[in-house]
Order: sequence, then structure tokens, then C-alpha cells
Amino acid sequence: MAETEDAAEKANMNDEGRSSSTSKDFDPCPICLGSFLQEAYLDRCFHKFCYKCILNWSIYISRLSSKSQSTLTCPLCKGINYSIVYGYDGTSFQQHYINQDPPKQSIFFSKAHRFRLQSYYREPGTIYDKFSIPKYWKHRRYLQLNKWLQSWLKREIQALTQEEDVDIIVHHILVDIIVHHILGVIESFVRLSERECSSDITPYQKRQEFKALISDAAKPFLTGRTEHFVNEVELFICSGLNMEAYDEVYLESLSSVTPSVSEVGEERNHGKTENIPYLHFFDVDSDAE
Amino acid sequence: MQINTDDAILSIHLLVVPHLQASRARLFKEYKEVQREKVADPDIQLVCDDTNIFKWTALIKGPSETPYEGGIFQLAFAVPEQYPLQPPQVRFLTKIFHPNVHFKTGEICLDILKTAWSPAWTLQSVCRAIIALMAHPEADSPLNCDSGNLLRSGDLRGYQSMARMYTKLAAMPKKG
Repeated sequence: MAETEDAAEKANMNDEGRSSSTSKDFDPCPICLGSFLQEAYLDRCFHKFCYKCILNWSIYISRLSSKSQSTLTCPLCKGINYSIVYGYDGTSFQQHYINQDPPKQSIFFSKAHRFRLQSYYREPGTIYDKFSIPKYWKHRRYLQLNKWLQSWLKREIQALTQEEDVDIIVHHILVDIIVHHILGVIESFVRLSERECSSDITPYQKRQEFKALISDAAKPFLTGRTEHFVNEVELFICSGLNMEAYDEVYLESLSSVTPSVSEVGEERNHGKTENIPYLHFFDVDSDAE
Repeated sequence: MQINTDDAILSIHLLVVPHLQASRARLFKEYKEVQREKVADPDIQLVCDDTNIFKWTALIKGPSETPYEGGIFQLAFAVPEQYPLQPPQVRFLTKIFHPNVHFKTGEICLDILKTAWSPAWTLQSVCRAIIALMAHPEADSPLNCDSGNLLRSGDLRGYQSMARMYTKLAAMPKKG
């Protein structure tokens, strides 16, 4: 039965082949030879494959060798690679390290992390009306440093980079914020002693200065998401809230405006878990061989 | 305990089919490509079995300036269900005197058909690799010891005349 189907399909293919032979510049996935489904790149040689194709190959290869390997040789150039980069959407991407168990991530990657990451997939704007940012700068509230800032920064950067150990980045950014804060305090102290108000630096300038500072510090690590990140940092500082309270306010403002947000999140999770049954198919199949 | 046979068959089907489909889809793509490139590579003619896409044969021309020049060699491909994760099994159907081809079975000793396989290879590119192997025999890993020993002992002329004789005997159209 199946064999006659093959023959029939081949006959169809024949006709299709002629029509598509005009497009010479068609660049297929080297593994399935079809057009790319969910483009994925190897992290060193940057050769491109379908995510599923290259993932299947990495799983197949690791099963062949007795000891587990953390590298993958590129099917095209035989270069050594350590991870598969996929899901690139213009600003962010996902990364799958060879032979690293996905559940490992969930130890530190909590629901709150996922929620924070999701907030970067949305249009900003709705939450910004909740806290009056201009007032914060005008009244020089920045003279009081938010003491929850460090732990908030850590979670935020963990969510964005999907890495557990982000202390270096946090400290890098935090040092700049603290320096800015101290300078601000000194400035205001000088101003008080000289008894002259609002002369040299306007709150607007102060705000721009602050944002540029964080932006410079964060850019090497967060690249395309830096601008959004800076806005989120400012928002958190302006709120004056602790993490739990801030999350609650954030969630509230979201659910009132866009109820579809949580569904998007569900979908994301769903996509991740869907991979697991697929791997099981692979399991049974290769064992049966 | 009772097992519903229909369910069992269905579940087996579900386990096997994703791979069958992947390999079949890929082979169809190669088939299309072969149809399109027929003119592009005059040294290789790949033909798929009429009823089974997992069975292919190829006719390759012996490379020029080798003892195989002028011969047409037939290869048989058996493609596994896990293709392209697994390499195809290829052997010579035409008798050939070459250090890396088994004289009786036609089995080929070529790294890309074993450990160095990559899913980026296609049946067409495997044919090209085999043509390259014909032009550059590797005497240190012989499947045909007689041929390997001739080359290793430096008797190039002996190897060439034997190879040429078998090419004439087995790979060229008979005269008359």
C-alpha cells in the first residue's frame, strides 16, 4: 500500500519540481532539505538549521557515544559548538545547551522570572501611568535608594538572560546606580549649603543622566532589550515598593488592560513541554532499532 | 489483562511514523533535486526504485586518469528509516578492484558512510565522495587486501593493470 503511494507521490513531485526549479536561490535546511521551520543557529559557526532538525541530530549523536558530551560538531563544517540558538524574534532568543537537562533551569527560573520575561514581550506603556515618574524626579526622591533594588535587579537579569549566576552583571549595574545616587546626595548637600535652588541641573537632566548610565552598564549584557530594561528599572525605583508589592501592582495593571497576556504565557510554556513527548518518540524508536 | 489490539497498532504506528515521514519527506526532496540536476552532473545518474523510495541505484562514471576511466559502475543504496540521522548503506554492484571496496560483496570502506556521517550529506554527494575515493584509494585501510598490498608495496603498475582489467571485464559494455 505505502509503496504505491510513494510512486503516486513521486509522480506529483515531478510536476512540482518543474515549477519550483525556477527559484534557484532557494536555501533549504541542510538536514531536512525543506524550508526552515523555526530557524536555529549553532553558537560558534552560525550555520542555520530547523530547530527540530538540529536538536534531533544532537540527541541522536549523544546517544551513539557512550559518554555524554557537551559539544556538537556542525553537520556542515564540523566546527565545535556548545549550544543551539533559536527563537530569535529581533531582540531576544532562546538557547539550548547540548546535553543540558531543561528541568535544571526551573530550579532558579521561577514563575516570577517567567512573568518578568513575559513583560518584555509586550508593548510597554500601560503600567507607566501607575507610578508618577516625573514626580519622582521632580521631588528628588532618588535621594532615598530603594533597598530592594539589588534583589529585584538580580531576578530581572536572571529572567532576561536565563542564566542563574548573574551577580557580576548585577554588581556592574548596581555600582553605577550607587555612584549616581551618592553624587546626587552630594549635589543636593552642596545645593543646600549654597542656598540656591534649581539652578544648574534640572530633574529632567538628572533623569536622562541616570538612564544613560544604566543603559551603558547593561548594554553589553542585555543588548536589544537594554532600553526596555532601563525603563523597567526606573519604574521599579520610582514605585518605592518591595518586590512582592510591585509584582502585584504590575499584574493588576496588566490583567485590567490585556487579559490575553496570561494566555500568551501559557502558550510559551506549552511549547516548551511539547518537546518532551517528541523526545519520547525518539527514545522508543531508536531502542527498537 | 486485555489489550486492545487496535490501540496497540495505532500506538506502534505513532511511534514509527514520525521518523518514517521525516526520512521519506527528505528522500522526496532529494528525488526532486535529482530530477532537476540530471544534466548538471553527467558523471552521476541516481535512480529511485519504482515502488520503494528507500531503495536507490546509481550509475557513476569511473574518474578520468584512473584505471576506472571509461567504466560505468553501479551502486546500490539501502536507506535506513532513520535517514538522514543514519547514513545510507551503499555497495558496488559492479565488480571493482579497489583497496577500499570488498571484492566479493562490494562493501565500501569510507568514513563518511560510518563514523564521519553528517545529515548534511545527500545520496548525490555520497556518490561524489565515492568517485573521489575511486581516484584516491586509501591503501592503509583495505577491504581488498590484494589491491591494498600492491599499492602499499609500491607496485602502482600492478595495481593499475589489475584495476583496469576488472574495469574492462565488468564495467564496460561488451563488444559485439
